[in-house]
Amino acid sequence: MSWEFIAGQFAAQFALWWIIWLGILLGIVVGILPGFSPQNTLIMLLPLTLGIPVEQAFAFMVSLYCANHLAGGVPAILIKIPGSGGAAATTLDGYPMTQKGQAQQAIVLSFTASVFGGLITTLATLALLPWLSQIGLYLRSVEMVVVMLFGITLIAVIAAKDTLKGLIAGLFGLLIGVIGTDHIYNAPRATFGFLELYDGVPLVAALIGLFAVSEALVMLEEKLIVSSEGRERAMRASWADTLDGLRLTVVHWWHIVWTSFVGLFIGIVPGAGASIAAFVAYQQSRMWSKHPELYGTGVPEGVIAPEAANNGVTSGTLVPMMALGVPGGTTSAVMMIVLQYHGMVMGPRLFSTNPELAYGVFVAMAVAYIFMIFTILPLARYMARIVLIETTYLAPIIILVTVVAAFVERQYLFDMGLALVFGVIGYIAHKTNYHVTAMLIGIILGPLFEQYLARALRISQGDLTILFSSTLGNVLWGFLVLSLVLPLLRGYRQARRHTVV
Amino acid sequence: MSRKAPLGADLVIPLLALGFASYFFWSITDLAWEAKANGVVIGTALIALVVVQVARIALEVAQGRGDLRTDPLWQPRDVLLKRIGMVAVTVAFILLLQVLGLTLSLFASMAVALWLMDVRRPSLIFGISFGVAAAAYLLFIAVLDAGFPHGFIEKIFS
Repeated sequence: MSWEFIAGQFAAQFALWWIIWLGILLGIVVGILPGFSPQNTLIMLLPLTLGIPVEQAFAFMVSLYCANHLAGGVPAILIKIPGSGGAAATTLDGYPMTQKGQAQQAIVLSFTASVFGGLITTLATLALLPWLSQIGLYLRSVEMVVVMLFGITLIAVIAAKDTLKGLIAGLFGLLIGVIGTDHIYNAPRATFGFLELYDGVPLVAALIGLFAVSEALVMLEEKLIVSSEGRERAMRASWADTLDGLRLTVVHWWHIVWTSFVGLFIGIVPGAGASIAAFVAYQQSRMWSKHPELYGTGVPEGVIAPEAANNGVTSGTLVPMMALGVPGGTTSAVMMIVLQYHGMVMGPRLFSTNPELAYGVFVAMAVAYIFMIFTILPLARYMARIVLIETTYLAPIIILVTVVAAFVERQYLFDMGLALVFGVIGYIAHKTNYHVTAMLIGIILGPLFEQYLARALRISQGDLTILFSSTLGNVLWGFLVLSLVLPLLRGYRQARRHTVV
Repeated sequence: MSRKAPLGADLVIPLLALGFASYFFWSITDLAWEAKANGVVIGTALIALVVVQVARIALEVAQGRGDLRTDPLWQPRDVLLKRIGMVAVTVAFILLLQVLGLTLSLFASMAVALWLMDVRRPSLIFGISFGVAAAAYLLFIAVLDAGFPHGFIEKIFS
């Protein structure tokens, strides 16, 4: 792969600017709406992507996919409603920034972290593709159990303010995540007799209920979602706030780099996705921070980590598909269908038989990210104005539109009702300080954790020592223990220093 | 006015969790160990934590620092009717969707919801409801054909 070849690929992708922009615009619209994942949007648009030349189809799909990941953070920051599971962790610090009147800075940070995180990992993937494709082979169920535990420990972090309530919420979520048939015998568990729950609790309905519906019911208490001081700041918002967001990006550039690589590595593993990447990145960011106690109060790093990671995932999920012929998730499976329809055979041979397409996919992704920063950054100032809309209008729109979106994932009216049930549970949790994010982490990671654990135990015929049987797994266990113990040691040292002083 | 903390509300989530965990255990009684191992571990830990929380609240009530009122869930009272109304409108919307289709049922539900929120200007109610319904039609029906039930409006434009 020469520089001329790569330059030619960039030129070819820039020539497809019109379809990349179309993908970006549609991706942003559906990304902002909770319930619209890139996979169901791409499935609905299959008649279009199957009908156009494969290069255009891929440029369109990749742009839509990346823009969708980027846009999910916008409602998470402005109204505490994540557009996707991958943006759920963004609410933890994004929304407090909005309440402090820093919505524009938070949105700019989310955009820049997403774009640069996505761009850096895409370029890294281009350069290191043959080696990265091997990572998926080393991360098996044993190692993935530990990766899942990295995410689940975030429940304990969130629970720091009221440990008991946080843990109850997290475990309640984990148990809800076990609803549905098991991974070995397909035996139904706790489905209340509903066939619609045999595949487990639909994540979108849970996300919409716990965040959107419950938040809308709570916000009715105030005229605006921001404080009076925040309102003043939002009304005075100018380009200076956008520049301030860019300044924060420069200050935290290293944070963007390393958290985006967390996303890339998790994205490479088939089955793992943006949600786990965002939670793990947030957890790691907090664990290694010099001021972990400020997380949750609106710190820039709390927005950067999940956003950079969930966009770092985008190139990672395509690696196993392109290099091994194994789709890393539903989105890449849809992309694979389109490629196969056009006669392309996935796997290592693709890079020798059709290098323009194989590398072109990642170049298209890089070009999409470059276009995105110029398209969306100027909009931050206007998007931030949404906090000035009175809750009298905002709450009914949020509830009814997001309940509509709950239908889209599986096209069951049941899911709309389920979103409302989760909304009421989320409302009670909000009012009594049981953290809904801890509950959602459980619902998202519970089924994944069980899936990997069951697979590992099946291989070992129930012997738990398999969890400590691989070198990489043991290294990850070491990191997990270290990331839990170090903050405790640091806290102990600080407490001792204060006592001495 | 009571100065005791209303701790009854703090019991709702633990009791829901306890109820669900009990149902979960009942539903997996006859399954193989692989199918229930994960749930049993999580459910047992959850029940243990709920017991601790209930004991903590009972202790506070016994010491006179709190009582079993559930006030935080219902306050402020002036918003309560709006909340219940909003939930009722959403239930009605889901039921109406099958009969009227997405566009019309969303328009009607949005109009009723805005009225519930004390919006009284007809032009504002009509404008917002029309805008939301039209946007939903364009995105969900015209562009994405997302499989929503079709009603009068959808049939005209199809």
